[in-house]
Amino acid sequence: MTTFLPSNDGLPTPEPVDLKAEMLRATRALGQATPAKAARMTSDLSIDEELVLHSIGWEPVALVTGTSVHSVPYGVWSWGQGEIKWASQAYARSFARATERIHAECTKAGAQGVVGVHVDWEINRHHIDVTLVGTAVRPVTWNGLSADPIFVSDLSGRDFALLHRAGWTPLGLAAGASFVYAPRRSMGTAMKQKGLNVELTNFTEAMYAAREAAMERMQSAALELEGTGVVEVKVTEGPMPFAHHAVAFTAYGTVVRLLAGEHRHVGARMVLPLDDPVRAFDVTSLRGTGPG
Amino acid sequence: MSPVPADLPEAAVRRMADGAFTSGLTVPDFAACLQLGLEPVGFVQGFCVMQWQFYRMGAGMGMAGYGSPYADTGGYSENYQCPHGMVSAEHRYWGQNYEQTWVEDAWTEGFTSSYSRMAEEAAEAGAHGVVGVVDTSYPLADMGVLEFKVQGTAVRVTDGDPPPDGRPWTTYLAGQRLAKLVEAGYAPVSIAASAASVRVWANCVTENLTEGSTSMYSMATPGSEIEQTVKAHTAVRRLARRRVRDQLEHDSLHGAAMTTTARELGQGDAELQCVLRGNRVRRFKEFDPMPPPVPTVRLL
Repeated sequence: MTTFLPSNDGLPTPEPVDLKAEMLRATRALGQATPAKAARMTSDLSIDEELVLHSIGWEPVALVTGTSVHSVPYGVWSWGQGEIKWASQAYARSFARATERIHAECTKAGAQGVVGVHVDWEINRHHIDVTLVGTAVRPVTWNGLSADPIFVSDLSGRDFALLHRAGWTPLGLAAGASFVYAPRRSMGTAMKQKGLNVELTNFTEAMYAAREAAMERMQSAALELEGTGVVEVKVTEGPMPFAHHAVAFTAYGTVVRLLAGEHRHVGARMVLPLDDPVRAFDVTSLRGTGPG
Repeated sequence: MSPVPADLPEAAVRRMADGAFTSGLTVPDFAACLQLGLEPVGFVQGFCVMQWQFYRMGAGMGMAGYGSPYADTGGYSENYQCPHGMVSAEHRYWGQNYEQTWVEDAWTEGFTSSYSRMAEEAAEAGAHGVVGVVDTSYPLADMGVLEFKVQGTAVRVTDGDPPPDGRPWTTYLAGQRLAKLVEAGYAPVSIAASAASVRVWANCVTENLTEGSTSMYSMATPGSEIEQTVKAHTAVRRLARRRVRDQLEHDSLHGAAMTTTARELGQGDAELQCVLRGNRVRRFKEFDPMPPPVPTVRLL
């Protein structure tokens, strides 16, 4: 069961719960009629996340989604120079439209923001798809009126609560992507490098160019949201299966801003687990399938 | 242990009369269930094997009214007419998004039958609930046949009463997660799941955009959003959520998982399927927020 350690801020240690009695009470309640006024909530948060949200006075409201698919014109992946702007723009637009849609669903659900957003994106030769799925949340005491803008965040319920305790707030998702051609080597360079293990500077430079553009776009998006930083940034880089001569760099994360006057230290306690790691041996060696 | 019911198959009677319970629980989950006063009764399963096809008989070439503004599959549908006014064998002058209700009905039948069979097995064994439910569906031997399987561990609540309607409660949770759910004031009611299926028959604009074509007939700015595809994606997720909400009555859905698959069939055509599952739970006591948890750092 949940273990409550004595905390530094003088909070009382909860009474131990009689789980058998609670289970009995829960199952007996199933025989009674559901109160008609009970609110219907849908959430993809785990019970741990929901409890942590409750501990800071927030609750889940509804499962919400947003999707966008943008076209990438024919021929843009043919070998060329510089950035593949069509693809970069298609990624940016898909991300922005999907965010707008999940934002709209959150507003309709009467929530203040979305947490635990799963960002699912796919780059195809002629279209870029972005889908966002998350749980809309709000303060338990929320009356629907707030000056704070609605936020969309890929932080888990736990991370959202921790951020909240530290005096920060999420503002939204920021994303950036760039697709860059790795320029052809000259005939002379290709001949000189033939059979050698050497750096392919055209690829390295393309990777750097894509990275700088993508990170800059993500940071610009963060500034547009009036954030001070981006946390949990996820990046990917590399060529596409259908365009080995081009590199893609994508980045996204949650924009945050300090709400409190200053950062509040959460005062984490150090714990030393005393359980030994389990030692096992490779059973395949007994079957004679191992080397030798 | 409860007495063995008399109407079970002979092999099952013999198996249960041995007095040993069976369980799909891990040892930690088993220990946590005992702590909750849940006694394992038996490992219960339900199966249903369905013939599975995406194309409906009688809908010409698999299209539910392709080319007809009067197409009606009994669910969501949207028509996309060619904006060019062209009629030609090579030009897709008509497109449609429509809900494949026959696919959804087949999924619901397969899932519900296997779920009911598992629940019946649990009820016959005298269980009050089923914990740690796992449901799967997968094709059998590439024959257009899909097997649905729902299984879990049937349990009895110590000193508890049988379910009022005779049907055991069910949950995907077990062990500590179930204990935390109950401690948080939620009673498990049942697992809830739904599937939605939407077919996209692309019109000329969707076809051109999906192929990246900049044809003068595309009637859309190159690089623009593919509206028909987006609407299909939005609809399939909305339908799955609506169907689960309809099952909830006044209860809540907890720990949901949404899985969407898109099968591209070329030239903008696609088939989308969304499955949403989670735990239907009912609040049985007033909300009592836990104290803020203490952050810890593990020293390894």
